[in-house]
Amino acid sequence: MNQLPSSMSVLHDAPSTVSTDIALSVRALDFWYGEHRALKAIDLDFPRRQVTGMIGPSGCGKSTLLRVLNRMYDLYPGQRATGEVVFDGRNILSPGVDLNVLRSRVGMVFQKPTPFPMSIYENIAFGVRLHERLSRADMDARIEDVLKRVALWTEVKDRLRAPAAALSGGQQQRLCIARTIATRPEVVLLDEPTSALDPVSTARIEELLDELKQDFTIAIVTHNLQQAARCADQVAFFYLGELVEVDSAGQMFTAPRQRRTQDYITGRFG
Amino acid sequence: MGNSALTGFPQTREFRPMTGAAKTSALSDTLFSTIVRLSGLLILLIVGGLIAVLCRGGVAAFHAFGAHFLVSRIWNPVTDVYGAAAPVFGTLVTTFLAVVMAVPLAFGVAFWLAEMAPAAIAGSVATAVQLLAAVPSIIYGMWGFFVIVPLMASHVEPFATHTFGHLPLIGTLFSGAPYGTGLLTGAIILAIMITPFMCAVMRDVFVSMPAVLRESAYGLGATRWEVMRQVTLPWSRQAVIGGVVLGMGRAMGETMAVTFVIGNSNRINWSLFAPGNTIASLIALEFPESPAGSLKLAALLALGFILMTISFLTLAGSRMLLRRKPATSH
Repeated sequence: MNQLPSSMSVLHDAPSTVSTDIALSVRALDFWYGEHRALKAIDLDFPRRQVTGMIGPSGCGKSTLLRVLNRMYDLYPGQRATGEVVFDGRNILSPGVDLNVLRSRVGMVFQKPTPFPMSIYENIAFGVRLHERLSRADMDARIEDVLKRVALWTEVKDRLRAPAAALSGGQQQRLCIARTIATRPEVVLLDEPTSALDPVSTARIEELLDELKQDFTIAIVTHNLQQAARCADQVAFFYLGELVEVDSAGQMFTAPRQRRTQDYITGRFG
Repeated sequence: MGNSALTGFPQTREFRPMTGAAKTSALSDTLFSTIVRLSGLLILLIVGGLIAVLCRGGVAAFHAFGAHFLVSRIWNPVTDVYGAAAPVFGTLVTTFLAVVMAVPLAFGVAFWLAEMAPAAIAGSVATAVQLLAAVPSIIYGMWGFFVIVPLMASHVEPFATHTFGHLPLIGTLFSGAPYGTGLLTGAIILAIMITPFMCAVMRDVFVSMPAVLRESAYGLGATRWEVMRQVTLPWSRQAVIGGVVLGMGRAMGETMAVTFVIGNSNRINWSLFAPGNTIASLIALEFPESPAGSLKLAALLALGFILMTISFLTLAGSRMLLRRKPATSH
């Protein structure tokens, strides 16, 4: 695990010179919903311990790409992907991949908070127990650790046994992030994680992303361009199933190379 | 600008004495709310009336035999001595066994339909389940009599007696002559009949579970079993129990199908193969031979009252069960 200081990884030139090591590498990816081709020949690298923001108008394929990275699409018949997604040296699209292991290593947080119908404690312990046998003390420590990391500990430490549904929306979403990182994934996928939250909760989640990228590779889909500009190291712009442009956030939002990118970020469509 | 929006309102919206049309619409509204209210009251009246009739009709039996009526196994029209124990026993045993058999089956089918089955197959299986629910119970009765009963008599019961018959404790359950008819056969028919009801209810809740909740569980690396056990089931617990109670209610009251295959014997026997009786099938069989005003008719009405009480207690029990546990796991 070579730890690059994050300042070094901020890129100011072309994406082809991305020199940090790559956590996930997408090559020639096509995706079909039945007969509809939703992603077209995508090539994209996700640098380790950086935030990759994925932007584009609704239906452009950015969420679809996210769902390929942990093979969530596998739950639905008629959805299929071709091409390659290389993670830890193997193509995760190949049939022999253990999806349960993959999903524990590539975690996901959704648009809306999705607390399970159980206590705050159990919401986190559930995922951990799927993959590890921890003693009671170790489990308690793990739960305290992840709740502290998402800045929820002080708010919930006295009511860990209360139903998670009793938390506010912002708290629930932080719990879902805690739940995801508790299984110690390498990659965290976030699908518009703040779209259902108020501005204050949104700001807290964004701060959290900065913290989390010390340890995790993050891919975030967002409709909020300011959010992408604030949080992402690298931004990918998708349009109609194609990856139009991928650049550092600074480059993308000040001097995009592609006309379509410029039109989108200046609000001319989308 | 603001003014023009205000003056844009049609004049009819000012308060004025009610004209003919307005009066008519007010009247029809009153009429509507009265009818709706009466409908609600009617239901209360029907339930109350049912209980009152059963109670009044059966009171002679309770009067003649007292509390002994509930525990006596004797049902003897010749000596005019009646006890409810045998049919109550039969009802409870067949219902219990039917639910035990039907719940896992219904759950399995529902979960498979909702979570795993390819869309094309799921559609036709779901339709088949609905068709199964629509089959009249008399058909199940005949089918049970001509198919299940011989099968039980020639294969299942001899095999079970041979395998489990000499085991301590549970051996008794599988002892006795293989008639084919009996409590177990009745329970099997009931299980087949109530499975589609339970299945339909369960499938509806499973399907209505938010996709993101399922995906969150799968997203943590959970297997199907883990998702079902730890997320789907707790999330849908209320409706699943509701479905089970619905099926139980139907199993308890089911008459025709059971009458065909249960053997119609007013005895309490610990063997599952022994002929027995249920409240509903006893009433159906004996009612035509019970003259008005007879003690026998009173005993049958009292049995009806007991059946209703059991159903009511089941419903109340499930309500309490649901209310006591909020949605936490500890």
